[in-house]
Amino acid sequence: MRPEDRELDDEIRGHLALEVQQRIDRGEDPETARLNALRQFGYVPRMREEMRRVWYSRWFDMAEALVQEMRVGLRSLLRAKGLAATVVITLALGIGANAAIFSVVRGVLMRPLVNRGEDLLVYIGEAKQAGGVEETTFSVPEVKDFRAGVPSIEKFGEFSTIDFTMNGLGEPRVVHAGVVNGEFFDVMGLKPALGRLIEPSDDGLNAAGVAVLTYRFWTNTFNSDPSVIGKVIRLDKGNATVIGVLEPSIPYPAETEIIANMIASPHHMGAMMITLRVHRMTQLFGRLKPEAALESVRAELNTVHATMVREHPESYSKRAAQAQMNVSKLRDQIAAPARTILLLLLAAAGIVFIIACSNVANLILARSVRREGELAVRAALGASKGALRRTLLAESLVLCGAGAALGVLLARPMMSLVAQFAARFSVRALEVTVDSTLLWVGVSLAMIAAVLLAYVPKLPASGSSTAPSLASGSIRITPGTNRRLRVFATTQIAFSFVMLAGAATLLATLISMQTAQTGLDMRQVLVADLPAPSLGLATEQEVAFYQEMTRRIGELPGVDGVSLGATVPWRDKGLGSVAFSADGFAPANGEELPRARIRIVSSGFFEVLGVPMYAGRDFNAGDRRDSEPVVIVTKSFADRMFAGGDAINRKMWWVDPFFGPKPTPRRIIGIVSDVDDQNVVRGSVMAVYHPLPQFGMAGRLFVHASGDPYALVPSIARIVRSMSATQPFERAKTLEDVRTEVLAPQRINAFVSIGFAGVALLIAVVGVAGVLAFGVSARTREFGVRLAIGSTPADLLKGVLSEGVVIVSIGIAAGAAFGYAFAGIAASYFDSMRMPGVGSLLGAAGVLVSAAVAASLMPAARASRVDVLQALRSE
Amino acid sequence: MAKTPDPERLEILQGTLDMLILRTLQWGPCHGHGIGQAISQQSDDLLKIETGSLYPALHRLEKRGWLKSKWGISEANHKAKYYELTAPGKAQLLRERDRWSQLVNVMGRIMNPAAGTEE
Repeated sequence: MRPEDRELDDEIRGHLALEVQQRIDRGEDPETARLNALRQFGYVPRMREEMRRVWYSRWFDMAEALVQEMRVGLRSLLRAKGLAATVVITLALGIGANAAIFSVVRGVLMRPLVNRGEDLLVYIGEAKQAGGVEETTFSVPEVKDFRAGVPSIEKFGEFSTIDFTMNGLGEPRVVHAGVVNGEFFDVMGLKPALGRLIEPSDDGLNAAGVAVLTYRFWTNTFNSDPSVIGKVIRLDKGNATVIGVLEPSIPYPAETEIIANMIASPHHMGAMMITLRVHRMTQLFGRLKPEAALESVRAELNTVHATMVREHPESYSKRAAQAQMNVSKLRDQIAAPARTILLLLLAAAGIVFIIACSNVANLILARSVRREGELAVRAALGASKGALRRTLLAESLVLCGAGAALGVLLARPMMSLVAQFAARFSVRALEVTVDSTLLWVGVSLAMIAAVLLAYVPKLPASGSSTAPSLASGSIRITPGTNRRLRVFATTQIAFSFVMLAGAATLLATLISMQTAQTGLDMRQVLVADLPAPSLGLATEQEVAFYQEMTRRIGELPGVDGVSLGATVPWRDKGLGSVAFSADGFAPANGEELPRARIRIVSSGFFEVLGVPMYAGRDFNAGDRRDSEPVVIVTKSFADRMFAGGDAINRKMWWVDPFFGPKPTPRRIIGIVSDVDDQNVVRGSVMAVYHPLPQFGMAGRLFVHASGDPYALVPSIARIVRSMSATQPFERAKTLEDVRTEVLAPQRINAFVSIGFAGVALLIAVVGVAGVLAFGVSARTREFGVRLAIGSTPADLLKGVLSEGVVIVSIGIAAGAAFGYAFAGIAASYFDSMRMPGVGSLLGAAGVLVSAAVAASLMPAARASRVDVLQALRSE
Repeated sequence: MAKTPDPERLEILQGTLDMLILRTLQWGPCHGHGIGQAISQQSDDLLKIETGSLYPALHRLEKRGWLKSKWGISEANHKAKYYELTAPGKAQLLRERDRWSQLVNVMGRIMNPAAGTEE
């Protein structure tokens, strides 16, 4: 009970006491007196209601007035349906886009992780160096050093990825696997959905191989079948028992299907993994001791790193020796890649909102000018400025409220689109759900818009020059209003131009990537994954097996050539670049050794892909494991290392601890054109090709087809299956389709930005058309006079059209200036920021101008059709 | 539940209750019950003030600053709220009285035109 109510009760009691006393004095008996007093007093709750209106009269008055105004506003808006619909849709688009993107930004950048104790979870890596790449993985000896030397971290989690050929659970297939130590899940704070997870007892040489399925893999591939627990699977050449299913969690640090312990992975138990300090493939996570500060952890890590560099100088390049260690909250680490793109999206959505608001402001301004007469009458009748403003506010509340409602509805589908887009940068976007913030963002944006819009129209100055407006019901357009209308329209065009130019740049980039010359036969080459069993050197039998397989595939009708390789262009990451040296090469003082990509192919590879040979010969059956080591190099390699001379028969050797202390010299037997299998737009490439029997294993099949490449897939699959039931054969695609597939992110980029630019363009065009239409209807009389004194309708048409073109031109100029300044600022924050090409700018300008001309056509046509007599009679 | 109108009693004119309350309080502070009684007695029971209108009116006048109130002990030996005229309230009473006599004058001229023209 509020104090007012309590006081009222006391007052009533006091009143009744007096009344009873009076009646008793008059001779009534006490009981009757009490009843009569109560009866006379009347119904208390009604009085209380009445009192409320007195106590809170201000609120009652305001609410009542506003509801009244809103009812009036709704009615008057229903008379202007076109305008109302335009405003509502425009606002809905602006609000929807903003609410959607804000939800994703909040979900990805600001929300805590689901992991238990996520506040103590850290990610350990090298700090980013200026212009360089940071190392994110460590070798087993390095991890051992960190464990010993960083007491602030309570537990370390190790994670490395590897692909296994998995047998024993459904079809033979390649699975992406994570290999972890026993503390990993404890560090990450993850729980099993079924069975148990990998524990410290699963570490060590005497443990049995175990594997955990990720939730997604278990549900998608095994239909959540609980009987998978306890099954024994083969991973490459080792065995592992399935012990559990991981709870649903974000696929981090890598999207994997199974997670195994160390012993389950032959590679992780190999000497190279355990002893080689440069064999870095482990990502490192930690759980802090509760009192540890990030700063002190960083200092400890750096001390250990410095010691490592001092004690093992041979294992650290100059760059690695200078590197600083970094430790960051896991939450920030996961969100970091998405930050830039999300903030850019937020900026785009903000611009759309500005355009939407200025467009709505425009329409409302035009409308309020039409209503100047009405407002002037009300002002003359004594309506205060506040009352008039309230009318405008009520109307814009109705409009913006409707816009927000529609916007919130639109926001859901828009948000899932944006979330999918953002998921490529941060897995956290996958768990973004629609939450109530979406609603609040939408509603508060609408309220802001409503208040802003209510203050756009100028009120008739009380008492001053209202006379002309009162005198006639027609529209008088003042220079001030006209200027404001044009400023809004120009603003919209300017921002639309910025967005269109951005979208055009992305589109141009996409097209140039999609159509770039790759130097490969894109349409007729079919590639497929044919994963080899291990990373080690293939045995004689394995080589023989694959040679027999390719021979049989080569005999299929429609196959022109068949070869093996290790890297599908663009789809596979390849083996990386390694330092090397060559005959007669002496690095200048302090110069680092050059690096080249390592590639493994079988004979016929270049012919199958359509890569021309400049000199020398291809590999052949004579290049066996026990014969002389030979290589084929790219044109860029030959030019760089043997400028002007002949590279054939010279020797090169890899200089990397990985290849041991005594490098094997390899004779160059051929030179081929550069093939850039990492970038869709080709750069010059230093690469060294090794013959399959002499260097590791190749797990990719390349087939040149004379007809439809996809028609060959079933027969190839049959041959593979008939030779080995455990050999996977997957992801068969033409090179053209591989390129299309890897360009999907660029396509989504272009798609999203074109979407935004399209919305902006649409709104801006509506804005320009609105301004011109308003101008034309306000100038009906003027047009009538001009027609009467001899102007032709064509002159009027031209006049209105050129007015539209002028607005657009000024807008484009302003947009270009703003965009240029903005891009300059943005470029200092984002490395990948590119200035749009002239073509894109011209394209964007062209689209805007033609859209504006189209938008001006309708009002212009109306101007030219003005009926002289009617126009002159209209006043 | 329509009340049967009492033929003897006059309905209080819209807007005049405030003036009557201010007028009554000119004699000094009084509680709601006393104000109602005073108005009835002075009109020889022809004007009856409903408590349902009296108390909202008192609170409204207090809110406007024309009255102020404090708690006291009534004749019935019970807690009661005493209302008192403020300076702005006195000024308001004068204004209302002027307006009232003007209104009566004008109404009189319209209702009895003969009396008006003779003056």
